[in-house]
Amino acid sequence: MSLLAEHVLLRHRDVPHIRDINVYTNHGGYDALRKALSDMRPEEVTDVVKAAGLRGRGGAGFPAGVKWSFIPAGVKPVYIVVNADESEPGTFKDREIIEANPHQMIEGIALCAYAVGAQAAYVYGRGEFKGPFVGLQQALDDAYEKGFLGRNILNSDFSFDIYTHLGAGAYICGEETALLESLEGKLGQPRNRPPFPAQVGLYNKPTVVNNVETLTNVPPIVLHGAQWYRQFGTDKSPGTKIFCLSGHVARPGNYELPLGAPLRHLIEECGGGVPGGRALKAILPAGASAPILPGPGWGTGDILDLSLDYESVQAAGSMLGSASFIVMDETVDMVWAASKMAHFFKHESCGKCSPCREGTYWVEDVYHRLRDGSGRPGDVDLLLNIADQMDGNCFCLLGEFSVCPVRSSIQHFRDEYEALVKG
Amino acid sequence: MTVTLTIDGRQATVPKGTLIVEAAKQVGIEIPVFCYHPKLEPVGMCRMCLVTVGTPLVNRATGQSQLDADGLPIIRWFPKPQTACTMSVSEGMVVITDSQEVAADRKAILEFLLTSHPLDCPVCDKGGECPLQDLTYRHGPGVSRFDYDSKHHSAKRYPLGDLIVLDRERCILCARCTRFQSEIAQDPVLAIENRGRDARIVSYSNPVFDSHYSGNTTDICPVGALTSRDFRFHARAWELTNIPSLCNHCGVGCNTVLSTRRGQIARIMPRQNETVNEVWICDKGRFGHHFNSSPYRLTMPLIRRDGELVEASWDDALQHVASRLTSIIEAHGSDSIGGIAGACLPNEDLYLFQKFLREVIGTHNVDHRVGLSATFEDDTVYAVGVGTGTDLGRVGRDTAFLVIGSDLDQEAPILYLRVAGAARHGATLITAGGRPTKLDKQSNHSLRYRYGTATHLLLGMIHVILEANLTGNETVPHRVNGLNELRANVADWAPERVAEITGVPPDEIRAAARAFGEAKNGIVLYGPEGLGWGNGTQGTSWEAGSPLRQAVANLVTLTGFIGRPNNGVIAVLPHANSRGAADLGVVPDRLPGYVPAERPGLNAQEMLGGGVRALLVAGADPLAGVTLADELEFLVVQELFLTQTAQQADVILPAAALAERDGTFTNLERWVQRFDPGLPVPGQARPDWTIIRQLAVLLGADWAYATVGGVLAEMAQAIPLYRGMSYEQLSQPVSLSRRMSHYIYAGMSFQAEMREGMQWPALAEDGSAKLELDWLDPPAPPAEGDGFTLVAPRVLYDGGTLLGQAEILGTRLVQPHIALSSADAAALGVLDGQGLQVSANGQSISLPARVDGLVPQGVVAIPRNLKGAPAESLLGEGRIFSRVKVVKG
Repeated sequence: MSLLAEHVLLRHRDVPHIRDINVYTNHGGYDALRKALSDMRPEEVTDVVKAAGLRGRGGAGFPAGVKWSFIPAGVKPVYIVVNADESEPGTFKDREIIEANPHQMIEGIALCAYAVGAQAAYVYGRGEFKGPFVGLQQALDDAYEKGFLGRNILNSDFSFDIYTHLGAGAYICGEETALLESLEGKLGQPRNRPPFPAQVGLYNKPTVVNNVETLTNVPPIVLHGAQWYRQFGTDKSPGTKIFCLSGHVARPGNYELPLGAPLRHLIEECGGGVPGGRALKAILPAGASAPILPGPGWGTGDILDLSLDYESVQAAGSMLGSASFIVMDETVDMVWAASKMAHFFKHESCGKCSPCREGTYWVEDVYHRLRDGSGRPGDVDLLLNIADQMDGNCFCLLGEFSVCPVRSSIQHFRDEYEALVKG
Repeated sequence: MTVTLTIDGRQATVPKGTLIVEAAKQVGIEIPVFCYHPKLEPVGMCRMCLVTVGTPLVNRATGQSQLDADGLPIIRWFPKPQTACTMSVSEGMVVITDSQEVAADRKAILEFLLTSHPLDCPVCDKGGECPLQDLTYRHGPGVSRFDYDSKHHSAKRYPLGDLIVLDRERCILCARCTRFQSEIAQDPVLAIENRGRDARIVSYSNPVFDSHYSGNTTDICPVGALTSRDFRFHARAWELTNIPSLCNHCGVGCNTVLSTRRGQIARIMPRQNETVNEVWICDKGRFGHHFNSSPYRLTMPLIRRDGELVEASWDDALQHVASRLTSIIEAHGSDSIGGIAGACLPNEDLYLFQKFLREVIGTHNVDHRVGLSATFEDDTVYAVGVGTGTDLGRVGRDTAFLVIGSDLDQEAPILYLRVAGAARHGATLITAGGRPTKLDKQSNHSLRYRYGTATHLLLGMIHVILEANLTGNETVPHRVNGLNELRANVADWAPERVAEITGVPPDEIRAAARAFGEAKNGIVLYGPEGLGWGNGTQGTSWEAGSPLRQAVANLVTLTGFIGRPNNGVIAVLPHANSRGAADLGVVPDRLPGYVPAERPGLNAQEMLGGGVRALLVAGADPLAGVTLADELEFLVVQELFLTQTAQQADVILPAAALAERDGTFTNLERWVQRFDPGLPVPGQARPDWTIIRQLAVLLGADWAYATVGGVLAEMAQAIPLYRGMSYEQLSQPVSLSRRMSHYIYAGMSFQAEMREGMQWPALAEDGSAKLELDWLDPPAPPAEGDGFTLVAPRVLYDGGTLLGQAEILGTRLVQPHIALSSADAAALGVLDGQGLQVSANGQSISLPARVDGLVPQGVVAIPRNLKGAPAESLLGEGRIFSRVKVVKG
């Protein structure tokens, strides 16, 4: 069923109890760190990650090695911030890594720290990760005890600490600069860029901000090399990716596939297809933050032929983002679905910039009207117009992305909207 | 280094690092803003300033712009509009602000902002001068598509503090107020709470909105969300008459505007003056004006008949005074008359006051050093005051400040903002004091000396500077006398010895001295808490202050920090015209212009102690808590209120307040500035200078001054310091018309247009003048024995005559208390708020304890000039320190 002989990230599915540090080390765990500390200079670690073409798994897909190389030389301290805020609707991959394969992430963080010369890392988790972080702290304690963290790691000159921090549960704190503000104890609102965190990050010091999954990719890359890693995925989107599948499928869950795998494989082979023989109406490829892709009966061509890599999904008019695929069958009222997302963005808008703060509020208000049965002629165009007024004008991507479900649902399912408008 | 860019086809050449919005302003293009303010760090939140930006495509190999077929640079446009308030200009940048796209974005942002706005402009205080209203007219949609019934409702009358009311529906969450508090005021007491449409401005400090600068947030609020409690719903902007004025509450000389309506002050606003107060004023200046309209103002002359004060005509009152003075002079001679004038009086009044005593009466018995003025005086700035053209708002990295013995946040708040701002811009800041002050948080070197040893600390610093040869080698050898003698004298004051006396560790003294000496420019601000003990254990300020003054002068002179802009000394004197009182010889031993008097008269203490038979008092309350000396036969008081001194007077002459007349003040940086009349005088009150003139005429002088300008003209001729000053120059018309181009960027402060005052040059600015490095031995502090050192700091909200009338500040007035360290409190077994008995000089006073961690061990502090004058009664007039006994009870 799987396109992979072995999991690269979800290794606990092949190796039971790998969250136990002894099991992890018995199966090659921390060998990459050992290799790096004994045989590699820090820049060689960055180079192999660059050569592997690892792209950020948080959503933006920015090459991780390139990001690391932006850390200026000679400015200390350098921080690593691990983004475990995982709050995109339909995303639950980082949680599984933290719960089931935490040491691979910890080893990845340590490798990153060695590469960029960081003294400390902060794992910033969403407030709801209180439970998973208990296990994570246990894993960290074990790693300290075994000498993989702390002073003189594996008897080298390299010393490094990892701290955990839980947010208070705000979607915006997944945005890297808002996360830094929150971590500093301030109101979670994004910062202006430039300067980017690599120059001016946590406590105004150079900072690498990476997603949990991104860093979990690093140990196998360092251990097996870039060429090995590039056997998976496409030329521009190498490696494997965890796809979070939810919604109207028989077997929702996380599935690790090489990038470039066909959507049909994910939905039909992995997910067991849409239950009850119902038709696939729409797919959200990246939670709420990307345009909706219509199913075969509602759009042109067969969406299931889509190749799951960053470039192909973009070419199809959406984004791969964090690869949280929400599947909707023919029973779904698309105005209802869009209104749920409108509510989400209004609820999560931080309020820093006016178009997002006021726009998301207004959009939800129009949806309320439509769903109440008091929609007015022109409301659909009004929604599109509000979206136009927000697009390109917001401070950060939360506001920019909030218009995606509005626009794409109207684009593909306008008749459902028009049916709610009186007159 | 400059950068040239094109904005809407216009070329602009501006310094590198300039923001697009500022570059546009320079070529006359107004980019609308809400969150942007030129004094605050840019944030780009409101998105109102979105513009289209492109940069030339550069060939990375050659570094040259790539050209198109027509030979023009190829412009690479940013895919999204950019915020002009956060983006800096770059060479060859192209900015478009006048396109349909930009217009659509502006309209969009305004439509968004107005969805939550109550649109209550008809009753809003900001209406008529509101950036949101004005920019909506200019750029916004005429109608809203937002459903009126869906408006978000919030609190309309939320008390953000005692002084400031927040209308949360009007707030557009631009964060100007929170950023002002964090960045400029350094009181981060405001914050945004919650998120999205529920985000709101809150203050959790105790007391709420605890800042001396809170009123400024109402000025920079770009909507009507923040209003001051005393102006809220009281007047519309267009009904107000705006008069250029000055603040009379401290020596900074903040430029203000009196906005009056029907003969009353509706509000006081800052008037922009970048070299004095920028666009700010403190809350004391903004809210302390209510004394003007107090029902307790004196409105008629009063003569004491049969023990009772009864109303009289001006003719009768003045005739009475003239005949009594004449008969006393005839019987006892001119020196039986004396005069005390307050340093709140304008220059012209002070000049005539001392001239009246010296020339009409014929005595040098004249002084201003009573009350706060008795604690601290200065004559160093005559020679080494900050150079003309000094602008603390523009100094940065190459400048070092030494602030010694002064709590600027309490004594001169806007000076605090400017020094803290300079530190933020990279200036080196050294603070030295007997206790921590707010400025310590910004300082690079924070030195804590034992009270009374600031002079020793300065000698230690001079020792280090001479040892390290950090003297100003260009100036010092040619211009200075006494360097070798100073070197010999200061050789004894190595940091190790100084450390034993002051308690400041030697390495801290060395580091601070080096930091000061190595700077390119140096400025010393010094204040009353730097004074020494004087002779014995209780010196009067002018005895105890001399070694300090000499040490300050020596420090700036030998480092060459003199005679140039942004170099020299600022003495943090207490009153609006303390500088003028010193300049104009309102002291018994000096004539105007720092000319020594040949035959010094009696000082205030001596006059009050029975040295004179008749005493004229103008604008001062020297007899508060003091009984009349038996020798005093006749007391005349010119006042606004029936002060304790006035209650003992034989004749009371009602005086006009600042807002009711014109005149000039000289500020701490020696700017002579003019204020205009804005209110009618109450009843028959008259300006002090006209009262003095009439008395002089009645006593036979041919004084023909018709206007304040005439007095200043004589001063300009007679006093070299004021040479070249004329009322005409100081009175150039000020345009106080509201300009949207100013207030959308800078806030409600009135724009500076002309009338910047004139600054008299310090002696050191005359390149041929020789400067003396004199030596005065510092007085040793008394051996520490039983009891505590009592100090009496100045506080902003004290119990002064005028401030006590401003009810709005009532909750902020400092109540009598005694502050002590937590260790001493524990040793005495006293908790915060419990009573302590303090005894000294045969006086014993009971006060509640305040354990606030701001006083070092072994020291107790009772603020000066509080209601009932507890500190003064323990210290005695003019004294700085005392040993006191403190027991529980």
